Amino acid sequence: MNSKNDTTTAPPDSAGFDVREFARTAHGNHRGTLDLDSLADEPLDAESVRLVRALRDMERTTLHRVRDLLVTATHKDARVTAFLTTWMFEKFWIADALDAVLDASPAARDLPASAGPARRVWAERRERRGPVLRSLAANFTGTQIVAEHVTTGLVDEWITQAAYRRLAGVSCAMASIIDPVVEIKHRHIRFLAAEAERRLGYSARARRITNRALRHSAWPLGSVDRAEHERTFFERHVFGDQSGRAEARRIRAMVAALPGIRPGVASTVESRLLP
Amino acid sequence: MAFDIDKYTKNSTGVQWADLDFDEFERDPLPEETLRTLRYMCDIEYHTVCYLRDLLTTPSHDEPAVGAFMTMWNREEFWHGEALAAVLERHGLRVDFDELKATRLKLGWRDRLGTVKQTVMGRLVGHDFVAVHMAWGAANEWSATAAYHRLAALESHPVLVPLLRRIAQQETKHVAFYASQARDRLAASKKARVIARLALEKAWGPVGSGIMPEAEVTHVMTHLFAGSEGRKLIRDIDAHIAKLPGMEGLHIVEDAMDERGIAS
Repeated sequence: MNSKNDTTTAPPDSAGFDVREFARTAHGNHRGTLDLDSLADEPLDAESVRLVRALRDMERTTLHRVRDLLVTATHKDARVTAFLTTWMFEKFWIADALDAVLDASPAARDLPASAGPARRVWAERRERRGPVLRSLAANFTGTQIVAEHVTTGLVDEWITQAAYRRLAGVSCAMASIIDPVVEIKHRHIRFLAAEAERRLGYSARARRITNRALRHSAWPLGSVDRAEHERTFFERHVFGDQSGRAEARRIRAMVAALPGIRPGVASTVESRLLP
Repeated sequence: MAFDIDKYTKNSTGVQWADLDFDEFERDPLPEETLRTLRYMCDIEYHTVCYLRDLLTTPSHDEPAVGAFMTMWNREEFWHGEALAAVLERHGLRVDFDELKATRLKLGWRDRLGTVKQTVMGRLVGHDFVAVHMAWGAANEWSATAAYHRLAALESHPVLVPLLRRIAQQETKHVAFYASQARDRLAASKKARVIARLALEKAWGPVGSGIMPEAEVTHVMTHLFAGSEGRKLIRDIDAHIAKLPGMEGLHIVEDAMDERGIAS
């Protein structure tokens, strides 16, 4: 198993992102600093509230995602698990802040139900695997799976950040709430980007499994479990208009710039974002 | 008594030590056997994420209160690891993430198939498997609390003792969560009681056994719990476990001590 394990993983990162510093300066509860009163002066429209709910639900499924990562060799990498520990803590409190926004938004009461039948797409079938299949399959992939996890995590952050930026553009009140969230997520991106570049740059096997994963992922991650109508809403609202399409193009360019990611794979990611 | 999850999450914080004068460790270093025990505790705290993984393969995290607890608990345990690593560092012992990774890699196939076994068991047993994890977690947290208190009592170091007390105080909250969860879930299901009892009786071992070398397990258990005073604490842990529904008469911690020949 050596060829799949540590002998071929990238050497430890001595410079770059300081995981311990990240842990030390984690952002917890936002409730004390949220300006919900200005949200009363500039109430959110129904579509924006629906996007807030979608993002809240995504942040809430973090433990599910952590499970899918930990049932593979990713759990062995203590630096990555140290990051995940703080990452899930920060996401817990981002979801809580979005909850507060929903509570303060009258339009939240009239939203369509978020539950509904899921979208069944053949290309996304890998994503529907439970922990047993994931764990068994990942045993054959070995420790290079960490590259897949940090890269899909990175692309996911780029996509959700596009959604957060759209929300921040709705009003000054929303910008004051969302800007700090974007700032927090910027650190997540920095870690994931550094790890992805290092690991992809180091191993051909890492590039191969990551290309495959990017081709088959449902975006944002975890979408396979979401209702078809909620996924369609997200794609239309975030990437449907001209500026949204430009965002999707930008994401394609960033994906294509990652070491060893094929242009066709980056295009597939872009096309999956568009309604 | 119900566990107040909102209060717990709001107050959850990494253990603090900036106000403690760690230079004291250079003036008055800790003895070798204490450092060895601290190293063990430090590793175990960092490895909490492996235990989190097992919990996440059960349906328990779909319940918001349990998910919230796991998020905070995992982070608090990580910070215990950081605090102890900072103490060790003052003694020239560096605990880095790559070394922890090497320990986890050494576990090999046993660990790789662990997830599958856990999940399949969880599927077979169903929702009651959550109760097994909670009872197991309670036993571990009672042990951890006792270990930190005991080390604080054995040592008189002016910086180590308050740090250990702070860690123990957080562990006490973890005990409260696991024990209240275990009590409710065990009380509600006969099947859960039967399986949890079987699991504890047949498979439970001191926290860290299975991950750490057996020689280290024996060192820590001897250092902390050998002798009549230590044995009394072990029996107290067993008494707590035995009070959980369906666990009457269990003495798994004392059995684990006897198996390792720890003198009473």
